Amino acid sequence: MGGQGLDLRDLVVKRGNRNVLEGLSLTVPAGQIYALLGGNGAGKSTALFAALGLLPVTSGQALVDGKDPAHQPEAVRASIAYLPETVALYEHLSARENVDYFLSLAGQIRTKAQIEEAFAQVRLAPAVHDQRLSAFSKGMRQKTAIALALLRQTPVLLLDEPTTGLDPQATQDFHTLLLELKSTGVAILMVTHDLLGAIDVADTIGLMIDGKLASQWHARNSIPRFDLQGLYAAFTHARIGNTSA
Amino acid sequence: MRRAVLIARAELALMFRSHVALIGVIALLLLSAIAAATSQAHMAQERFSRLANQTQTDALFEAQPARHPHRMVHYGSYVYRPIGPLAGFEPGIDPFSGTTLYLEGHRQNSATISAVRENSSLMRFGQLTPAFVLQTLAPLLLIFLGFSMITREHMRGSLRLLLTTGVTPRDLILGKSLALGLVGLIALAPAWLALLMMAIAEPSEAGAAALMALGYGLYVLIWVFGIVAASALAQSGQAALLSLIGIWCFIAIVAPRGAAELAGRLEPLETRAATDLMIQAELRQLGDSHNPDDPFFAAFKARTLAQYGVTKIEDLPFNFRGAVSAEGEALTSRLFDKYFVELATTQRTQSQIVSLVSIASPAIAVRRISMAGAGTDLETHLRFLQQSEAHRFAMVQYLNRLHRDKLSQADDAARSKDPLAEQRTRIAADNWAKVPDFAFKPTSAKERMLAAIAPILTLAFWLASVMVLAGWSARVLRARAL
Amino acid sequence: MKHFWREVGFLLRQRASVWAVTLLAGLALLSVGLGLHDVAKQKAAISQVIDLQKQDSAAIKVFATEAGDAAYYRFHPTWNPPAPLAFAALGQRDIAPSIMRIRALALEGQIHENEAQNPELALPGRFDFAFVLIYLAPLVLIVLFYDLWSGEREAGRLASLEAMPLARSHLWFPRILARFGVVSAALIPVFWIGALISGAGLRDTIAFTGLIVALLGFWTLFAAWIAKGRGGSPTNAAVLATVWFAITLIAPAGANLVINATTPIPDGAAILRENREAVHDAWDLDRAATLQRFYKFHPELASSPPMQRPFEWKWYFAFQHLGDQQVESLSTFYRTGIAKRDARAGLVALALPPLAIQRAFHRIANTDLAAQSAYQDRIRAYHTQLRTYYYPYLFLAKPFTPADFDATPEFSDRLAE
Repeated sequence: MGGQGLDLRDLVVKRGNRNVLEGLSLTVPAGQIYALLGGNGAGKSTALFAALGLLPVTSGQALVDGKDPAHQPEAVRASIAYLPETVALYEHLSARENVDYFLSLAGQIRTKAQIEEAFAQVRLAPAVHDQRLSAFSKGMRQKTAIALALLRQTPVLLLDEPTTGLDPQATQDFHTLLLELKSTGVAILMVTHDLLGAIDVADTIGLMIDGKLASQWHARNSIPRFDLQGLYAAFTHARIGNTSA
Repeated sequence: MRRAVLIARAELALMFRSHVALIGVIALLLLSAIAAATSQAHMAQERFSRLANQTQTDALFEAQPARHPHRMVHYGSYVYRPIGPLAGFEPGIDPFSGTTLYLEGHRQNSATISAVRENSSLMRFGQLTPAFVLQTLAPLLLIFLGFSMITREHMRGSLRLLLTTGVTPRDLILGKSLALGLVGLIALAPAWLALLMMAIAEPSEAGAAALMALGYGLYVLIWVFGIVAASALAQSGQAALLSLIGIWCFIAIVAPRGAAELAGRLEPLETRAATDLMIQAELRQLGDSHNPDDPFFAAFKARTLAQYGVTKIEDLPFNFRGAVSAEGEALTSRLFDKYFVELATTQRTQSQIVSLVSIASPAIAVRRISMAGAGTDLETHLRFLQQSEAHRFAMVQYLNRLHRDKLSQADDAARSKDPLAEQRTRIAADNWAKVPDFAFKPTSAKERMLAAIAPILTLAFWLASVMVLAGWSARVLRARAL
Repeated sequence: MKHFWREVGFLLRQRASVWAVTLLAGLALLSVGLGLHDVAKQKAAISQVIDLQKQDSAAIKVFATEAGDAAYYRFHPTWNPPAPLAFAALGQRDIAPSIMRIRALALEGQIHENEAQNPELALPGRFDFAFVLIYLAPLVLIVLFYDLWSGEREAGRLASLEAMPLARSHLWFPRILARFGVVSAALIPVFWIGALISGAGLRDTIAFTGLIVALLGFWTLFAAWIAKGRGGSPTNAAVLATVWFAITLIAPAGANLVINATTPIPDGAAILRENREAVHDAWDLDRAATLQRFYKFHPELASSPPMQRPFEWKWYFAFQHLGDQQVESLSTFYRTGIAKRDARAGLVALALPPLAIQRAFHRIANTDLAAQSAYQDRIRAYHTQLRTYYYPYLFLAKPFTPADFDATPEFSDRLAE
């Protein structure tokens, strides 16, 4: 796929008179996975919303595939697939209908075969494609949403806590899928609590504290891919810092 | 029970702190007060105006100069439907029916001059009366204040917490009902106060006022338990709210109109014009006073002559023309009564059909109690029509007796042509004062109380049903929480 | 368009929505059926009375050989036939007579007559199409709109939806339009069926349809505006229901109180009584003077010879007319007072769109107060025609033959506008 990836530059976002983001900068090049970690309230989800253009940016700039959501919100949204923290699709529609519906909202048309293929990719059993979502487990819902994200075929993918509540097998499957996507040149920004998961798949791990990027680690070509000791120390410190705040 | 009281207290504290609830209750009280004051003032003014009209009409009648009695038959009189002391609370049908009836010989007029035809179309949207506030508005306020009482605990997870502290679902339902019931009591207070004041002013109405107070009390309680049960049974706050608004709309808005349509469809009424014409046609069949050879009047003549043992009407000891008038009036009056019974039966059946629908809508039942108690229901109007007709007949026949007994037959026959004979057919003015005044006997307090029993039982049945529902909802709640 | 149909399909997959819309369509259908039935019944009643009156007049003709007898005994039917769209908005037609019998006597004693309806049935109001539209359709719109945004927010979908490209034009606008469209589709075709059956004119039908769209549009915009706010679903529902209640129940009732207090009208009962006094006093007044007063209104009859006998029909009908003249100013004041109340209600309606639309319905359907008073004006005009028809026979000794009995002017229901 290839593209210009995601570039956040000195983002400041205000909510009321509090700065939720205080100069966040990070870059996710095409074909890379960036895992953004941080405690509750560190501003991780806000960063995603800013990238989507759903929140007004006070200063700084977000560039999604080279486009600024402040100026071209629609073009930006067309370039992003977003997977929210709790996958909330329509309960009264089947998996296939949900995917159809959201694709139609995005103005995209996919053939039945393409949809079947996406479902196969996320390992959603054919028997449930036409079942209402109200009968789905959390993992199945997640798979439906991921299939939708895949079908969007966007250069940028934003994931908000994608593995929370998934069992280890489902998490493993999900990570495999992410790596496949990455190999097609998608830039993936993943907000997560799951340090182990991040270590597994990310090319870069960022730690956010109080609206800023506190530290950042790049994957090495050897195993372990990251400086685990440094990571754990920083992460534990961030947790404590957060609870004391 | 102690736990229920605690829960109720907590709920009330929450309502008190919530501005929305406080504003809602204050708005309702304000509206109640405005409605009570304006409705009472308006009905008092109406009562006064009708009384003044009646006094003036009666005085005019007695002040008429010496005249031929048949002139007085055509001069006639007016009667104005009086208003009972409780009508200020529930005007009922009063604005929707004619209040003035012209009584004259040979004719039965319709009750005319009704508020609904003197008002803009806005009136058909509903009137701001204490009864309207209680029947329609109060339940809506209770819904807004009560729909989330239990769904809230459920959604926030505090339900499970509450149940682990030893509170039973029954305590919860009871406590919430207690809190909402207190709000209902506040909503009822101005109305009860108004009824109390009316009962003090008019002690004979105390029984009816008490029944009305009871009816409204039951009605509000039905809503209280119904709302709490819905809040316990609903999956979410909005599901509770939407279903309650739907139920309210059906009970207070749709059912009364639907019931009226149903009744009108099942028991259609003839138009007044058609009835008049049918009476005329039937009258012509029985006896045609314009036909000199009419068998009915010929038979009457023969019978009268035989009775007095004479062969010519000139030999009768009285004025035969007066006797014919009386006989003719008796004939028409019998027909009027016959057709009135038909009309009254149809209208009563219509109202009974509406009453039957109260099985589906307690608002209809409470309105029944309210109108019966206040003496502003169909029955009062029908009695007014019936007693007015009786009064008309008595007045006309009194005048016809004067016509028969006090006038010379020869003068009476010549009066259209001979001015002196015309003068002699005028009888003294003091005869007019002897016509008894119209004294309307409305449904007695006892009758009104009896009429309220069936709807009270309907409400009691409703209350029992919603209480069973509330009890059942406690069981559902336990199952859902644990 | 594609997005609109997608959202319609989406809406129709929600059971509660389908249920509410179907119920609305069912009630609309019921109301139209009831309305058509009612209009048919009124039409039947009118022709029944015209027929019965013919028989009655035939019987009177036998003995009424003098013009005075005919004028005194013979009633003439007048009627106010329902306009084709009356089925949809019955208005005042249930409380005011649609047929009245009139004779050449003083009119004030006749024109206020009432229909023999059961007031308990008139009290709650009619179940007509206008009721379904003004009261119930807004509630269905409220049900469809209150959680349009808050529902997505509460279900956690709002961010995913907003993250879609062109959410405003592809999602929200079609969603609003779909709801408006579905409710319109539940009502308008039902109305059209009724209009077709009743044979309503195209212009009126289009105007009525425009009003339906305007009403649904008003509530759609208002409900969408509230729903777009920050409130949660229950708050939105409560706010919308309160506004609905205030507009359709409280505001009209309150406005009616104020209008009546500020726009007094003369006591109708007093008009009736004064008319009677004026008519009956004539029996004890100088007959020649009475006739002279009458000739001021009808100088063409002044050549009539003086009265020969204590009772003559011409004198009788002269004082009948004078009785009407006596209360004319009071009666006019009464009628203009009622019209003024109605005009003020029209002003109130300017601030409350549903009331304005309800009034417009009644105007088009010719069932409003103005239509009632127009009917009364027609009766008044006809009454004048009737009494002046008899005058030459009564005053100028024109011979009254059976042919003249038959040639008495008949009421025409053609709208005199």
